[in-house]
Amino acid sequence: TWTRRKTQKERHSLWLSEEGDDSIDADDNEVELIDGDEVFDLIRSISDPEHRSMTLEQLAVVSAPQITVSNQKNHVMVEFTPTVPHCGMSTVIGLSIRVRLLRSLPNRFKVDIKVKPGSHTSEHAVNKQLNDKERVAAALENNAITEVLETCLESAGRRGRPADI
Amino acid sequence: MGVDLPYKLSAIAELTGHEDRAWNVAWNPVKPLLATCSADKTVRLYGYSGIPTPTFSFHTSISTDHGKTVRSIAWSPSGETLATASFDSTIGIWQQKGAQDEDEEVTAGEWQCASLLEGHETECKSVAWSASGTLLASCSRDKTVWVWEVQPDCDFECLGVLMEHTQDVKSVAWHPSEEILASASYDDTIKLYLDDPSDDWFCFETLKGHTSTVWSLAWAPGGRYLASASDDCTVRIWKRVAEHQWECVCVLEGHERTIYSVSWGMTTTKRVSEEGGEPLGWLASAGGDGRINIWQLEEAPNSTVNSPPKYELISCIENGHGDSDINSIVWCPRAGYQDLLATVGDDGMAKVWKIEVA
Repeated sequence: TWTRRKTQKERHSLWLSEEGDDSIDADDNEVELIDGDEVFDLIRSISDPEHRSMTLEQLAVVSAPQITVSNQKNHVMVEFTPTVPHCGMSTVIGLSIRVRLLRSLPNRFKVDIKVKPGSHTSEHAVNKQLNDKERVAAALENNAITEVLETCLESAGRRGRPADI
Repeated sequence: MGVDLPYKLSAIAELTGHEDRAWNVAWNPVKPLLATCSADKTVRLYGYSGIPTPTFSFHTSISTDHGKTVRSIAWSPSGETLATASFDSTIGIWQQKGAQDEDEEVTAGEWQCASLLEGHETECKSVAWSASGTLLASCSRDKTVWVWEVQPDCDFECLGVLMEHTQDVKSVAWHPSEEILASASYDDTIKLYLDDPSDDWFCFETLKGHTSTVWSLAWAPGGRYLASASDDCTVRIWKRVAEHQWECVCVLEGHERTIYSVSWGMTTTKRVSEEGGEPLGWLASAGGDGRINIWQLEEAPNSTVNSPPKYELISCIENGHGDSDINSIVWCPRAGYQDLLATVGDDGMAKVWKIEVA
């Protein structure tokens, strides 16, 4: 626990993007435009919390057409499709996408995350929870949840590349 | 904004120091002290002096014993005691060592935890003192609102656990003169409570109308109106139409993302419209779109019991905290400083704004 705690502390905050992270860096003076494919690239290799050897892309949970980016409004909307309509891991998947984007996207972007309409039996509840930043912040202070999230996010940097090179 | 508004907001202080998101800001009602709290588990205190435009300086930091985010803070009406609500599910009560001594400067002793209130099962979201300072209310994700009685030597006795909401309770706020408590929830409703002298605290009214989470509440200085801010991007104004009955009389629009905070202030610089209605003060709102809106409210000259107040957007500023969400906005309640507003944001910063004629 001590080592993990230290890692948390070194990270400083789950919300702030880190130097040396493979984030999309905005130039000092120039606003770099991003598109849905780049956002997809950031989240496609997140591991599924239930099937750890599979990525969200492989399970068709996320896809490029389900991502909308408005550079003008600084807004990113990510829709994802839970593998089954009663998927109990949907909030964890949504959280992993949220944390990945918080760490990687330029700060100017506000991110909304939703399940694909009709894809989940508790669609409204899942969406509401994922977009309530206070609930998200509290979840990220829960060690059991962050442990799962960090495991899912370990593979995120592969950006679609295979696991073993 | 293409429209010329009659008032402008100027930032007069930018206070840094928190290492993570700042959630809440509170003006001491008596002393020149401003407190902020953060996900970094600390409370920071800033002092200020100078009229009409004070300068602010860092006073001290309370590291707190909270194990998680300090979500909200509230000063007691006497200004002597600070309450903190934390995601660690406790409420901290803080007092300054040696503060009772006469002629003690604000810079006196260290802030110490005088009491730690346990009982909530999950994250505490908000804490509030009643106008007399004899009651404290707290709320949590555990769906409950607790009413505590302040007893001598910083003892607190729980007078009631109100289990009326079906979800997360986001905020509690006491009526400015009566012992009426309001709570706002993730279940999209607002509930109002009273003490039954022969029985327990009970809910006498549920205010429905918001279509998503209600994040923040602000009573009008006179107590006849209540404002609520919501994830549905509106502020609703509820009016007392009978002793124990409030009704929604208007809906203010002007935000594009969740409104996290609303504050109702009585400024000294009152601008009266040509019709000359009774002034109801100024309402400030802020949230996820980074915008600060200031509305002037006024009782309509020929108002009836349930007629809406007249309202006018008198000032607006975009990106108050850069790209960051604004989590809290509060008018300074102290005489001579009532044209000041404090905000805190996800950037960890506190800002103080002065509202002036444009």
